[in-house]
Amino acid sequence: MRSYLKLEVRRAFRNPAGLILLTAFPLGLYLLWTKVLNVVPQGQRVDFAAFSMVSMTTYGAMGGALFIGGAIALERSKGWSRQLAVTPLPPHGYVVAKLVSGAAGVLPSILVVLAGGALLGGVRLPLWAWPALVALIWLGVMPFAALGVAFGYTLKGQAANLAMMGVYFVLSVLGGLWLPLQAMPEGMRALAEYSPAYQAGSLGWRVLEGQWPSGTGVGLLAAWTLLFAGLAVWRYRRAL
Amino acid sequence: MPTALELKAVSKRYGDTVALDGVDLSVAEGETVAVLGPNGAGKTTMLSIALGLLSPGSGVVGVFGRTPVEALQAGEVGVLLQDSGLLEDVRVDELVTAVAGMYPHPVPVQRAMRAAGVEEFATRRVGRLSSGQQQRVRFALALAGDPKLLVLDEPTVGLDVESRRSLWQEVRARTAAGRTVIFATHYLTEADDYADRVVLLAGGKIVASGPVSAIKSLVGGTEVRFVLEDADVAELAILPGVRHVRIEGRAVTLRTDDSDATLRGLFAMFDVSEVRMMSTDLEDAVISLTGGRER
Repeated sequence: MRSYLKLEVRRAFRNPAGLILLTAFPLGLYLLWTKVLNVVPQGQRVDFAAFSMVSMTTYGAMGGALFIGGAIALERSKGWSRQLAVTPLPPHGYVVAKLVSGAAGVLPSILVVLAGGALLGGVRLPLWAWPALVALIWLGVMPFAALGVAFGYTLKGQAANLAMMGVYFVLSVLGGLWLPLQAMPEGMRALAEYSPAYQAGSLGWRVLEGQWPSGTGVGLLAAWTLLFAGLAVWRYRRAL
Repeated sequence: MPTALELKAVSKRYGDTVALDGVDLSVAEGETVAVLGPNGAGKTTMLSIALGLLSPGSGVVGVFGRTPVEALQAGEVGVLLQDSGLLEDVRVDELVTAVAGMYPHPVPVQRAMRAAGVEEFATRRVGRLSSGQQQRVRFALALAGDPKLLVLDEPTVGLDVESRRSLWQEVRARTAAGRTVIFATHYLTEADDYADRVVLLAGGKIVASGPVSAIKSLVGGTEVRFVLEDADVAELAILPGVRHVRIEGRAVTLRTDDSDATLRGLFAMFDVSEVRMMSTDLEDAVISLTGGRER
């Protein structure tokens, strides 16, 4: 199984389209918000350059986690999973390899967007905050990896990617990653506060205020993870 | 002798269509078995069930005395599938290395690549290869784990003559070392040249199974062909030794168990011309036993 894991990790770092989607796009958006448009929402408590850096880092990492499922869907439709079925690799070995390599592939995107904030956005934080941000954002997007796997075993080929684009967009807007929650109407904001992307983002936003994750936040995120993981296991069993 | 593969009363239906109908097959270790039959005869269905890719509707499957999935996960089986996809964004050597690493006792990667003839493009991306080259990569993946049982579904489709020959050379080397090989093919000469035994499938049933020579003799030893005006089936059928008569216009084909006696009678009673004799080839046997036509 280790030999296959190695191959998948190598593929994750060699995929130019994926790396651009996961790094250049959130970084570009970050610069657009903070340098070009300069839209600081009303009632912004912390430095908007820092706040938006966390939002966009979470946004990029979330995409990386979700699109693990896109790769699964594509490889299922192209017959690679059929080829793997006649090797000694057990089916769960494939999913594990996909999750680990996908998670590894998320890391460069986190580092690049945070570096963009520090170097281009002029964000200054206490030293401890940087590794805390990397670790928390990384962990925070893991529920989306489970959601991606559920999609990957439900739809095949490009259909999965299109569906996930939609889910990606809706969840990140609802989670306040594009525009902060203050900009939303009352009813939407209540809904948004329970959404998984908002909770993932909150892990990092709280670091900016010098706070560790809240109990409710971690609880909500754990609940989403359990729900998505359950969904993924169900779809995976159905697809075998 | 221990069995490599055993199917007992295996059936499979798709809705109203019967894909396999009570197939019994036992392949001993060290045997080379060719599975033949017209399209839709159930070859791929049978191999898929033998590999655990499909569950049988009824019946039992064993590979080295275990379930197919157990045998696969133990690394005892190497497989070349007709329609499997390959990762396209990796190099050939990377792919072979990754798959070889899944097996407990793989052959050295260089050795597997040489045997499958992929060495010359080992560092190229799989997606850049021609379909024939990709087929050779599939063969390399099947060999990589040095499996006890090799299952090949139409392995030479899309291969040129040279690659075809080297593939069979490698298969032969393996069977000489006591390994078991099961292959499905459309090319009857491949069965004739490389199989110890032929299994003929038609309509989801095994209609014949045995050494190539036995399959041929099932149909009758010799064909006598000649030209005759106004030939009549009934008159020709009573000639000594004749088992089957076919008339196409003036061309007549007799299938006979005793060609000497048939010829004596034929010359005595009929005014025939252009008489030729030919021994049955495997193609005739397959057509007559399956009622289908092979390419």
